[in-house]
Parts: sequence; structure tokens; C-alpha cells
Amino acid sequence: MGTSVQVTPLCGVYNEDPLSYLVSIDGFNLLIDCGWNDHFDTSILHPLSRVAATVDAVLLSHPDTLHLGALPYAMKHLGLSAPVYATEPVFRLGLLTMYDHYLSRKQISEFDLFTLDDIDSAFQNITRLTYSQNYHITGKGEGIVIAPHVAGHLLGGTVWKITKDGEDVIYAVDFNHRKERHLNGTVLESFVRPAVLITDAYNSLNNQPSRRQRDQEFLDAVMKTLRADGKVLLPVDTAGRILELILILEQYWAQHHLTYPIFFLTYVSSSTIDYAKSFLEWMSDSIAKSFEHTRDNAFLLKHVTLLINKSELDNVPDGPKIVLASMASLEAGFSHDIFVEWAADAKNLVLFTERGQFATLARMLQSDPPPKAVKVTMSKRVPLVGEELIAYEEEQNRMKKEEALKATLIKEEESKATIKADLPVGDAMVIDAGTTHTSSDAAVMHGDAYRDILIDGFVPPLSSAAPMFPFYDKSSEWDDFGEIINPDDYVIKDEDMDQAFMPVGGDIDAKFDEGSASLMLDTTPSKVVSSELTVQVKCSLIYMDFEGRSDGRSIKSILAHVAPLKLVLVHGSAEATEHLKQHSVKHVCPHVFAPQIEETIDVTSDLCAYKVQLSEKLMSNVLFKKLGDYEIAWVDAEVGKTESDMLSLLPLSNPAPAHKSVLVGDIKMADFKQFLASKGVQVEFAGGALRCGEYVTLRKVGDASQKGGAAAIQQIVIEGPLSEEYYKIREYLYSQFYSL
Amino acid sequence: MASTGQQTASLKRRDSLVTREGDQLIITPLGAGNEVGRSCVYMSYKGKTVLFDCGIHPAYSGMAALPYFDEIDPSTIDVLLVTHFHLDHAASLPYFLEKTTFKGRVFMTHATKAIYKLLLSDYVKVSKVSVEDMLFDEQDILRSMDKIEVIDFHQTLEVNGIRFWCYTAGHVLGAAMFMVDIAGVRVLYTGDYSREEDRHLRAAELPQFSPDICIIESTYGVQLHQPRHIREKRFTDVIHSTVAQGGRVLIPAYALGRAQELLLILDEYWSNHPELHNIPIYYASPLAKRCMAVYQTYINAMNEKIRNQFANSNPFDFKHISPLKSIDNFGDVGPSVVMASPGGLQSGLSRQLFDKWCSDKRNACVIPGYVVEGTLAKTIINEPKEVTLMNGLTAPLNMQVHYISFSAHADYAQTSTFLKELMPPNILLVHGAANEMGRLKQKLISLFADRNTKIITPKNCQSVEMYFNSDKMAKTIGKLAEKTPEVGENVSGLLVKKGFSYQILAPDDLHIFSQLSTANVTQRITIPYSGAFGVIKHRLKQIYESVESSTDEESGIPTLRVHDRVTVKQESENHISLHWTADPISDMVSDSIVALVLNASREMPKVVVESEPVVDEAEEEKKAGKIIHALLVSIFGDVKFGENGKLVINVDGKVAQLDKQSGEVESANEGLKERVKTAFRRIQDAVRPIPPSAS
Repeated sequence: MGTSVQVTPLCGVYNEDPLSYLVSIDGFNLLIDCGWNDHFDTSILHPLSRVAATVDAVLLSHPDTLHLGALPYAMKHLGLSAPVYATEPVFRLGLLTMYDHYLSRKQISEFDLFTLDDIDSAFQNITRLTYSQNYHITGKGEGIVIAPHVAGHLLGGTVWKITKDGEDVIYAVDFNHRKERHLNGTVLESFVRPAVLITDAYNSLNNQPSRRQRDQEFLDAVMKTLRADGKVLLPVDTAGRILELILILEQYWAQHHLTYPIFFLTYVSSSTIDYAKSFLEWMSDSIAKSFEHTRDNAFLLKHVTLLINKSELDNVPDGPKIVLASMASLEAGFSHDIFVEWAADAKNLVLFTERGQFATLARMLQSDPPPKAVKVTMSKRVPLVGEELIAYEEEQNRMKKEEALKATLIKEEESKATIKADLPVGDAMVIDAGTTHTSSDAAVMHGDAYRDILIDGFVPPLSSAAPMFPFYDKSSEWDDFGEIINPDDYVIKDEDMDQAFMPVGGDIDAKFDEGSASLMLDTTPSKVVSSELTVQVKCSLIYMDFEGRSDGRSIKSILAHVAPLKLVLVHGSAEATEHLKQHSVKHVCPHVFAPQIEETIDVTSDLCAYKVQLSEKLMSNVLFKKLGDYEIAWVDAEVGKTESDMLSLLPLSNPAPAHKSVLVGDIKMADFKQFLASKGVQVEFAGGALRCGEYVTLRKVGDASQKGGAAAIQQIVIEGPLSEEYYKIREYLYSQFYSL
Repeated sequence: MASTGQQTASLKRRDSLVTREGDQLIITPLGAGNEVGRSCVYMSYKGKTVLFDCGIHPAYSGMAALPYFDEIDPSTIDVLLVTHFHLDHAASLPYFLEKTTFKGRVFMTHATKAIYKLLLSDYVKVSKVSVEDMLFDEQDILRSMDKIEVIDFHQTLEVNGIRFWCYTAGHVLGAAMFMVDIAGVRVLYTGDYSREEDRHLRAAELPQFSPDICIIESTYGVQLHQPRHIREKRFTDVIHSTVAQGGRVLIPAYALGRAQELLLILDEYWSNHPELHNIPIYYASPLAKRCMAVYQTYINAMNEKIRNQFANSNPFDFKHISPLKSIDNFGDVGPSVVMASPGGLQSGLSRQLFDKWCSDKRNACVIPGYVVEGTLAKTIINEPKEVTLMNGLTAPLNMQVHYISFSAHADYAQTSTFLKELMPPNILLVHGAANEMGRLKQKLISLFADRNTKIITPKNCQSVEMYFNSDKMAKTIGKLAEKTPEVGENVSGLLVKKGFSYQILAPDDLHIFSQLSTANVTQRITIPYSGAFGVIKHRLKQIYESVESSTDEESGIPTLRVHDRVTVKQESENHISLHWTADPISDMVSDSIVALVLNASREMPKVVVESEPVVDEAEEEKKAGKIIHALLVSIFGDVKFGENGKLVINVDGKVAQLDKQSGEVESANEGLKERVKTAFRRIQDAVRPIPPSAS
């Protein structure tokens, strides 16, 4: 039997919630994507929390919150500890996205789900892969090969191909088959007949206008507002689709020599563009080509100003401008604040380039008709002053005291335990811990701290000889020539010069933008002040699809082309999922699944397979016929065994039995018509049949659209009266096939 | 050329041999065999052909610098893999792509491709050879750019059944080691590699799979490099002391690659030594500025240190080094440090400066990398008394010459550890001077003495042949594999080969497991036939063993099924139709049926007699009458037709009258009457053997 494959959605089925799926291959649990929404709603992570500890590997597909947002939280709080695999851009841009989210959230709330350190540590051990790199998993998942492939949509976006024993499980969500300015289209179509395909139904009901038309409409809308002295706000993601938008604007500005300022405002905007500049390998062929020829980096921006701080934007003189600001949901971040400021002016334009997440401000504004007024919460972090500050400090002190006390108690417990266990070394460590804990707590704690040490350090372990700090006398060894020299002590370290040269740098130190750094590292006590206010929405609101996902029609044709043996549908509204399911059952393959959350479906292929060795004797008599990439032959063989107990195929000892002949080949009526015409036969299509010559007709019958089903054998009928022509046309028809 | 021509023929003959005996693997260095320069290694296995690198020999010019391309048929090459951008690895590529019959695909890494163009354009401009000696021009380079495809590190590609991917090689930016997998036989081609991490590059990776053959460079043979910090110290010390004494320092270096590393060292050293700030460092290569964008972009191909530093500031933005356009812009007043290309001092700016400075003993020349045999740089390392200048005059060589190798090639320690960890059963040494290579070979032989490792050092155009017995494995899938067969059972099905993988499957499953599909052709042919259907049935039964008759369910027309293959149907009064699914045997059966039906139609008149008896009876009667008359004449002589259709027989005056219908005879003579009666009965018997009543 084939490899066992089970799929369990943890989040994001029958709705547009973030994506997170558990795929188990022969007992090896792969968590594919680990998304979260812009609200950071912990309730949607419950299913994940139940399985997090059993996950053996995590695969990430796109650098946005919907695909990787919950990674830091899951690593910190849910016990997720598996190695993570992603492409370099997903890693870098994903990291920046998380920074931006954290900083935006921290600005307006007491955000405590994860910290910057959690983000760093979650991303630190991501194994970075390149496209079509076959990564062989070792250990528990021995035999599984994972490979990222181009997905389009976002920079570094990945279609994961997971292979075991020649069976492919393909995870392809949010792919884009269209080539864009900065990205190549997906290579999903190059995979044919995988055992399982997991894909999304998100866009199955959407159809898009052509790119050219859409770009034109976009620029027209923007220009109209600017010329009317209005301001344009584009709420965007941190490091995903923004890259495409920037290129569109850059190009247009350069072509038309426009001078309206464009600002890109996120907490990490400059890092985003810096990294984008160094990811040319991951971008479209045209970008790579232009760099190779002219060394013009497409992301060397001439018209876009990068901002990391809203005050910089406030300093810009009032007037028409474009601001691209995160978050796309308008729930937090700069876009939220700017929206509140600008919404009341009818001249302004808020242009959404992606569908807002469910229940966000952006989604509300995208509804038809848009609301006249919306209630928003304005929150601001302000430093504490006066009484509040004092109260805060007292509170802090009290908390520290409590903590210290708790720590002390724990230490005491531990030290008692260690004394019983009779481990003086452990004691020493306890002292260390105790001191660091307490000393950081400043003067207030002095007394306690000392007492800690006294208690911890000077309770003599029962078996110890002397009540001392652990001290090891380092006796030097001597031999006949004196003290033994360890040559290592005298080696000049190779790295010395490097260290002088290199400033200290951790693995992950995305260039921290000044503003954010100051905010983050600012220890001055502050609080969040919130006020509810109602904003009159007078500005124009437009939604245009710049999500960079394949539309419904393309998805269907791609699915029909890929023609998986089994199809799993996830992510997408209930209607979209249902629609695509109905469609797929009819036109793609009979095995279509759309599981509910936490519903485990078994998509183990019911294929039988065994391996045999082809003996030289057999192969020397096989005559292959070449058909495109394939070579094909009929074999009749007898089963034997090799020395290593493998099954092997040997030539038959007695003459082969007759077999029904097989015609191999694919005939297109239109092509065949051409072919016949080239042979001087009069041909025309009439009533669904091909009339060849005067009497002979050729028809293709059977359900040709159903590719996956059993009816995929083409049925061709050739009819005609007994005549020379009949035999001639039959001869031509045969020439289109290989008969085996 | 005659001799090479012969060799070509022999190699090509071998090619055809290869396709017959698929298991022979051939490796032929077309360049870099027992030499350094013009790297180009040809490999062929199972009819698939790969060419590694495509360089020129820097010491020669024109056609002489090319690898021995006439040894091979360029049109047979499937894939050409270029490891890095150095001239001795990539510079004959425009020639090979544009001026030969090559039509395969070319791959190199992103950084290599970007620098390749700059470097070769520069090469075309710098090389001062006559037009007819030019191997290619700027246009050829641009055209070749369109044909070159890119591959990222670790990315696995497959072309024509050849799978390949590349590993970081150290050496220079974008340098790669290629692993090629043809039908399970793996060959690693290291190109130039270094296992030592330096300021901006990663060390060469250790592939996770051991190759069957390792084609490895042997530039440094058994030499050992000094530790990096010592080399750097020597380098900076020499420069410092020279400029401190008011001398000038010339560093002839390849425009790209090591130069960047040296600049990083110098820039940092100057930063740490404020007293040197008034001494200028020039980087005299117009390529310098142009390539910076490439170095700034492909940081992902560099090591972690640079990448982290990049997050803060661009490490290639030098503070103490200024570019120098040409010697005309160079004031040459007082001490200075100039880094200039080319590295071999063959021509160009480095040579001009050398000519200018070589006789002053305060000056110094630091040769920072491997120098190719036959170049001036190689000559001066041995510190001759005099050198020949570009203008042909000789001048004393007074300047100090220092050879401090920064070239990122593996030394013996690196090579031996690399090979020990990789454990390839076959090692091919290339890219090394003959004597260095020989020494390395000896040392490796003793190193791997306990193992059966073959170490080969082929010369240019000398083919190495190896044999690999690869078992062909096939996967039986689908319906055919529902039950694993026992020994002795038979398996029949389609064997589908794609690349080097085989599948055996049932014809019905073909469309499920491959992009191929099968088809059924149903044929229907109508034949005019107006006879009885029963006749056909009768005739068919005479010929075929199995003919089943039934009626068509829809129309109720009688049908016949012959051997379960062909259905014969009586479509209408005048037509019958044949129905069958195409396949050679059915076609044959149907042809025979067609012949049979046509035959039956031809014999139709005879059958028609029975169907139209009235007309026939009369004629028959007439005919019978004639016969009877004739027979009677022969017996009795005088027989005449009388009235009422009676025959009058006159024998010797006796007359008898015979009624033909009833056979009654009237005669006066009783004897004649009896004789006529008997004769007529006998004639009747002969003419109408079966009495009419019986039929």
C-alpha cells in the first residue's frame, strides 16, 4: 500500500481565517503554515495548541500573518518546538512583518502575547531553503523529501512538495499563475498527477480583469485624487504585496515624470526595501535580467520615500501625496491613524488593494454601500507623569518584591532539595540565579537579596566538608620537564582580526529603525490612552484586487491540468469552498475533500505499488517508442528473484500470450484536421464530427472534460462506407498513435 | 590539426558506442588536464552529455587559448555548467555558444551571470589582439546572456534526464560546485573551491551525498597555505613598510574575486592606522565600480558576517580606497598603493605600472594569488635580474617582489580532508600543473591506500572510461500491482520510461500515472449487400469458429458477432455494417469479413434465379426443350416441331407424336411408341434430375 497521508485542518477551512494545517505522512506530523489574524485572537489557536507538541516539522509558505503569524506565540506558549522550514525571503520578510505587527500593537495596547525576543527566537532556527531544493528530512521522517517551489503571490511564496516513496503531496495555497512585475508565476502546473493536492478555495468565486486594465484603473483612480488635490492612503501589508505596488507606482512616476510624493510608512520600511534589494534571485526573470544587463536594481527607489515614523510624515507639507502604510486591516498601525485623520475629507481616497480580513475595519469599509460613519478607537501610548508615575513605580516595586519573594521561596525549596540530593555544584548555581534575580531589582531589594545569599549560600550541605563557596583548586600537572603546557593556550586565535573587523552582530538583527528602537527600548513607564470616536467617512473608498492570487477560472483550469488523484480544499468562504468542491468533483477528480476544523481525513492513496528490478536480459529485448518526454514499451516478463531477494523481471521462457493492443497517444481533432488537410484530404467540422473527404466521418465521443475519472480513455469513432478513402483515413488516424 | 582531427573521429565513434553500451561513463578534459587554465571537462554517460566550464587559457591568445573543442561534437551536449566567472572557467562561453553548433542549455548562478557579462566585456576591450584573432565580440557576449539560465544554490534541476544542483564553493562570489546525477551515478565537479571561510565568502560546503566520481581541482597540489591571519599580517606589513619608506606598492590582481577580499583587508587596515590616511589606495579597474552593485545585491551568496554587517552599512562602501580610471589620471607623486588588473601582468594597467616602477628598489610588487605559467607575474616570482618591458627593452628588476597567496583555492590539507569526508571511489584531478598534480596524486594514493580508490590524472583530450552497473528498477503501480506476484508468475503491462525512472502499469492506468493517454478507435464500415443475411451467417460459420447471432436491442435488426471482435449488422435491405474496435487482429478479421461479403454479392445472379423463378422457368423450359430436341435428333434422326408444341418423330415412315409436357406419345407403331417413351424418360432424367415436385 502507499504512504499513509492524513490531513487535519487546525484553522482556516470554510472561512477566511488564517491558515494552519496538520499533514501527517506515515506518522510524521508536518504543520503547514501557522497563521494568525490581525486581531491576534487566541481562541482560533485552540486546535493548534492541542497538537503543537506532536508536530515534527513546520513548513511556512508565505511571509504574512495569515501564514506565519502565530509562530512566535506557538513556540513560546503552545509548546511548538519543531524545526521550521521556509525560503529565505519568507524568513526575512516574515520576521519584518512580525516586528511591524508587534510594534504597531504595542503602540496602542498592552500587547503581551509575544515579545520581540519571542519573534527572534522563533525565527532563529528556521532552516532556509531555496526553490526546488530537495531537502531530505533525517531522523523520524527519514525518507521524506520536502521542496519549496515558486508560488507567486508574495516574495518567496512557496508551493510545498512533500515526497515520500515517489508519491507527492503538494500544498499550494495562494498561488498566482500570472507573471507580475516582481514575481514569476507559480510552477504548480508543472506538477502532474500528484497523489494529494491541498489547495485553497479563497478565490474560486472571483474573477479578475486583465492586469493591464486593472493597473490602469488603479493609476487612474490615484491620479484623479492627486490632481484634485487629495491624498491617497493605501493600507498595505508590511512586506508582501507592497513590493508590487511600489514597483507599479515607481514605474508610472518615472514614465510620466510625476512629482507627487509617495511615502512608504511602516516600522520596518527601510529594512523591507533593503532586503527586497538583495532578493533579486527570488524575483521575476525580467527583474533579474535588467539587473544582469544594466545593474539597475528595481528596488533602488527614486520616487518613494521610506518612513518609519509618523512624525516624519506630519512634517511633510500638506498637499497631495500617496501614503502606503501598514496594516492592511486598518485595525492597528499607521494606516489606522492616517485613516482617522483623512477620512473626513471628501477629496481624499482610501484605496484598498486587498480584501480585509473578516471583522476588521477594512472589511467594514469595503462593504457595499460603505458605511457613512465608523466608530474607531484611538489609542496612544503616553509616558506616565505625576501621580500615575508614582503609582506605577510603587506597583512595579511591589511586583518585584513579590517576584523576588517567590523566587526566594523557590530557591529555598530547591536548595533544600539539592542539599538532600547532596549536590554542591547545584548550590552554586542557585546562588547565581538568586543574585541576578535580585540585584536587577535595584536598591529596594538589597536587604532581601543579601538574606537570599546568606540563606542559600551558607546553609552547609550536610555532607560538605567546609561551608564555602564551591572552589576547585586547580592543581597544575607536572612532568619531568616541568608544568605541562597546553598548546591551545598559546595559539593566536584565527578569528582575532575578524572580530576587530566585524562589529558584534547577532544572527537576527534586522536593522532596527531608530524610531521603533527608541519606542521599544524606551523603558520610561508609559500607558495607553484610548478614546472612542466616530469618524465620518467622506473620503472615497475603492477596492481593487491586487492580492496577486489566481482567479477562479484560472484555479479551475490549473486544477484540471494538475489533476491530482485526491484533492483537499481548505481556506475560503463556505460558498467558495462548496463551489470549488462541486466543480472539482465533476471536472478534476472524484476524490475531493473539504474537511472541517480538527476533522482528520485520510487521503492515503489506494494505490498499490511494488518495486522490481528490470534484468538486463529483459531490457535488451525491449524496444522503446518515444512519446514526448516518455518512452514506452510493452513487456511480458516472468517474475524472478535476485540474490538480494528483490523481485526481478526476466524474459519469458515460453512465447508471450497475445494481449489486447493499446493505442497510446492524444489526438486533438483540430490538429488532426490540419494533418489531414496537409495530406490533401478535404476536411471540415460538421455537427461535432470531422467530415473527411466525401463520406468518412470521425467523432470523438465520451466525456472528455473529466480528466481524472476512469473515462479518460479517448473514444474515437470512424465511420464510412467501404471505400478506398476509408482505409486511407484510417491509416492516417493510426499514424497519430503508437500501437503497443 | 590532422592529428586532432583523427582524435575527433575516434571520440565521436566512441560516442556512438556509448549509446549502445549504456553503462560506460567517459570523462575527457578538453582543458585543465595537467595544466591550469581553460577549464573544460566533458562527460558522457548513457547518451547524456555534460560539459563543465568553458574557459580560456590566460597565457595564450586567440584560438590557441581555447579548450580542445574540436575533440567533441558540440551539438551533442545537453547541459553546460559554469562554476564561476573567472576567465579560465567562463571566457570561451560566448565563443562556444555563438560560434559552434552547441544547442544545449547553459547554467550558472545569479552572481556569476551578472559578473560574467561585466568581466568578459572588459576582457574584450582589454585584450589587444588583431580582429581576426578575436574569439568573440561584445555582441556575442550580449547574445550569450540570453541563452544563459540561472540556478540557485541547492536548487535541483532536471534537463533531459540529467539531474543537477550546486553547492557553495567559496573561491569567489557565486562560485559553485556542481553535482550531476545521471541514472543514479553522481559526479561532483568542484571547479575552484576553498574550504576556508574568508571575509566575505562562505567556505565550500560538504555535499550530503557521496559522489561516485569527484572531479577536483589540484591547483596547489601538496602545498599548505599559511594560516589566514599570518598571510594578512605579511600582506599589510609589506605594504606598510614600503609606503613608510616612500615606496609604491603594486598589487596585480584579477579584477574580480580576490581583489574584493584584499580591498576589505586594506580598507580595514587603513581605518585602524590613522598615520596611513594620507597615503592613497587606488583600485585601478573600471570594473570595480560596476561590480559593486553585484556585490551589494547578492549578499545571500556571502557568509553570515557580511550579511549581518550589511544590515548596518554596506561593507563594500570603502572609505580609504578610491577608484582610478586609467594611468593618465594617475599623478604618481609619492607613495601609494595601487591594485590593478590583470593579475598576470600580461598587459593593461598593471603592466604599465610595473614597467614604470620595476627598477626602483623602494617599490614593491605584491602578487596576491596564484599565477598562471607563462605570464610575467610567474617569471618575476623567481626574481630574475632583468625583465623585458612592454616596449621590448630590458630593465633591471630592483623592486621587491612578494608572493603572498590569497587565492581561495584549497590547499592539500583542505583537499585531503574534503576527500576523506566525501569518500568518492573515483577521483579525477584537473586544474593543476603537471608536477603539482603528480605529487598530489602520490600523496592521495598513500592516503587512500587501504581503500580501493582510483586516482586519475588525465591529460587534455585523454578520455577516462569507467563502467557503472546500475540496476534498473521499475515501480509497478496501479491495477497491475494489486497483488505482488510470486516467483514464476508472469507480468505483462506497459513499461513507461521517463528520464531514468521506470514504471510498469496496466494500459487502463496509463492516463492516471502519466500525461499519456490511450485511445479506443471504434470503426464502422457499411458495405452494400442485398442478399439474405442468412447467407452471410452461413458463410461466416464456415470460416470462423465463433459466430454468435443475436438481435440489436434498439432496432431489432439481426446481428452477428464474430470472435467477440467484429459485429456484423444488417442495416437495411441493401447494406450491412461492420462494427469493431481497432486493433491489428480485429482489423484483419474485419477485412476478411468484408472480402467475404463482397464475394457473396458477386455470386448474386445465381441466387437471384431462385428468387425470380417465373422468368427463369420459361428460359429453362426453352433451354430444356432445345436439349430434348437435340437429344431426340441424335437418337431418331428426323424430329420436327409439330403443332401444340409436340414433336413429330419420323422413323422410316413411321410417325410418332411426343408431348413434351406430359411425356405422352401417340403413334400407330407400338414399337416406335415404346422406344420414344423410353428415350424421352431418360432424356427427362438427364435434363431434370430432380422432379419438379421434389423442389
